[in-house]
Amino acid sequence: MPPTAALSIRDLKFRYPPGADDAPAESGEGVGGWIVDIPAFDLARGEQALLTAGSGAGKSTLLSLIAGLLDPDPSHGAGTIEVAGTNLLALHGAARDLFRGRSIGMIFQTFNLLHGFSALENVMAALMFSAIPPREHRARALALLERLGIARPNADPDRLSVGQQQRVAVARAVACGPALVLADEPTASLDPENSANAMDLIQSVCRESGAALLCVSHDPSMAERFTRRVGLRELSAAPAAVGG
Amino acid sequence: MAMTDFQIVVRSLTARRFSTVTTIITVAVAVALMLTLLGMKDAARRAFDRGSGNMHLVVSRDASPLVAILNSVFYANPPRAPLSYAQFRQLRDELPVEWAIPTQQGDSFRGLPVTATEPEFFTRLRPDPDREWRFAVGRVFRADFEVVVGAGAARQTGLRVGDQIYVTHGTGTVAALAESAGARVGEGAAIAHIHKEFPFTIVGILEPTGGPHDRVLFVNLHSSWIMHAHDRRLASDPSVKTTGAADVTDADRLITAVLLRLLTRPGQDVTAVEPVVFDQLRRAGGFTVAKPAQEIQRLFAIVGGIHQIFVGMAGVVLLSSGIAIMLALHNSMEQRRRQIAVLRVLGASRGRVFGLMVTESAVIGLLGALAGVGVAVVGQQVVASIMRGQLGLVIEPTVVPAILLGVVAATVALAAVAGLVPGVMAYRTSVLRSLKPLG
Repeated sequence: MPPTAALSIRDLKFRYPPGADDAPAESGEGVGGWIVDIPAFDLARGEQALLTAGSGAGKSTLLSLIAGLLDPDPSHGAGTIEVAGTNLLALHGAARDLFRGRSIGMIFQTFNLLHGFSALENVMAALMFSAIPPREHRARALALLERLGIARPNADPDRLSVGQQQRVAVARAVACGPALVLADEPTASLDPENSANAMDLIQSVCRESGAALLCVSHDPSMAERFTRRVGLRELSAAPAAVGG
Repeated sequence: MAMTDFQIVVRSLTARRFSTVTTIITVAVAVALMLTLLGMKDAARRAFDRGSGNMHLVVSRDASPLVAILNSVFYANPPRAPLSYAQFRQLRDELPVEWAIPTQQGDSFRGLPVTATEPEFFTRLRPDPDREWRFAVGRVFRADFEVVVGAGAARQTGLRVGDQIYVTHGTGTVAALAESAGARVGEGAAIAHIHKEFPFTIVGILEPTGGPHDRVLFVNLHSSWIMHAHDRRLASDPSVKTTGAADVTDADRLITAVLLRLLTRPGQDVTAVEPVVFDQLRRAGGFTVAKPAQEIQRLFAIVGGIHQIFVGMAGVVLLSSGIAIMLALHNSMEQRRRQIAVLRVLGASRGRVFGLMVTESAVIGLLGALAGVGVAVVGQQVVASIMRGQLGLVIEPTVVPAILLGVVAATVALAAVAGLVPGVMAYRTSVLRSLKPLG
């Protein structure tokens, strides 16, 4: 296991129990009924990778596992998901939630900004769970928003353009200085021009902050942005070959 | 400065402003109702206790002791059966009394009771155990056809010292009709009419006492006897024009009650002779003897049962407001699941989002309770105004701090309990489902 890995997965298997509430309607199944079956996968600190797969292949389930929002199949035995050297699966309850807040940033297709909160408050809400001293939260959030081109930090995000909402979402994802950023179809709601701008932003911000980026996308134009492209099927079928 | 859980709660409340405000109003009404009922009971009790002043007994010929107190102390109605002045003298002279004061009711002015009495009413009787009569302006009546006006009556009628009035024989609706028509209304002994032959002059206006006397006009007994002697003489001789002191006979010298204060040890209010005198009067027959304190206690024992029912109903309303909070939060869960899921992704634990929901519910309860305190203060003033106008009871609405804090604390606790169900829903919210589309 590389000592500098932002993300290191070993022997991870997952399938939804019958009738599980969390199961996405389109979730498919792989060999042996496993939706996720990854012998090994590593992502170095600051590295950026694109994860591709067909619809319903389990990409989002994998991201949820990495974020600690799902637990692997307990009958399978011990697998590990290490983020910045900490095995997420060894953490439980509030400790895992707090670790996620501090170490993993998430960017969604629909941004998922908090309704009723200003752009600034959306970023500060993420900082609530960080180890950064509270007195620094406001200044840090303002600086981040300014750097990302948000001129009206106190505006309701509903009053911002789609591109600006995306910027607020990115600012929120990197506010705590995470080791890993998970981006789930981050450009699916955007037109080609805004899509390109958004990806430029996400990749540059992650690069500047030193966060590794694992991006899931259906967009074919994404491939050329990443030197490392990983197919989910490839991860499962040829474990020895992944990670490169 | 950093975001806090409380700011998240406030944002959540303001994001659903209409729902939040209507729920707070629901809680406020329930709290106000509860506080008003609890507060008014104590205030009414204090007002009744104050009304009997420093008297020990009331003697009349009313149907029951309670009616005697309501009629002769709180001026509810004029007693129907009179006592003679000779009987009063006998009571005063033979009983171990510190003082005895005769009163006579039956006349009115613009719907307000007119009580005929003697100057000792203002020098010996205290309107409140802790204070004496005080005149805002003027003095006690010294001659016939002079009037002292209670503070409330003066405010209601606008009467001033020097004004002249005519009192009306009779009370209530019939007397009001006689006043407005300027004619005799009714039949037989109940005929109401204005004593136009006898103008009265206002010589004094009292300061407020906080008791029933505030809505009364006081004249001296002799004036009243002259008016009623005139009525008697007119009945047998319609040509009679005037009646004077010389025309008053023993048959005219009637009163309706005697207020008694028995002998006490100096500086004390309790009297050892009260049981003896009480039994003596009851055995004598022909009298209704009432102890004000005892009858007021009896009255509140009757009213207390009804009050308990009202308080119980207010409790049910308060409980309903708790359910309203729960429903408001429950109904908003579909909207806020995504927000809860986002907070979870950002690092909030299940316990923390549960706590946020319970806190939000408790905050609604607290805001509703505080608004309810404000509404209760206004509500009590309204009820006090009605009590003052209808019963002559001057209620001083006060919210006992312990009761206030108790009701507010109970409301917040109830609201927090009401937040448990939405709290559990928040706790169990699926992050993956709530953040669709995720894959």
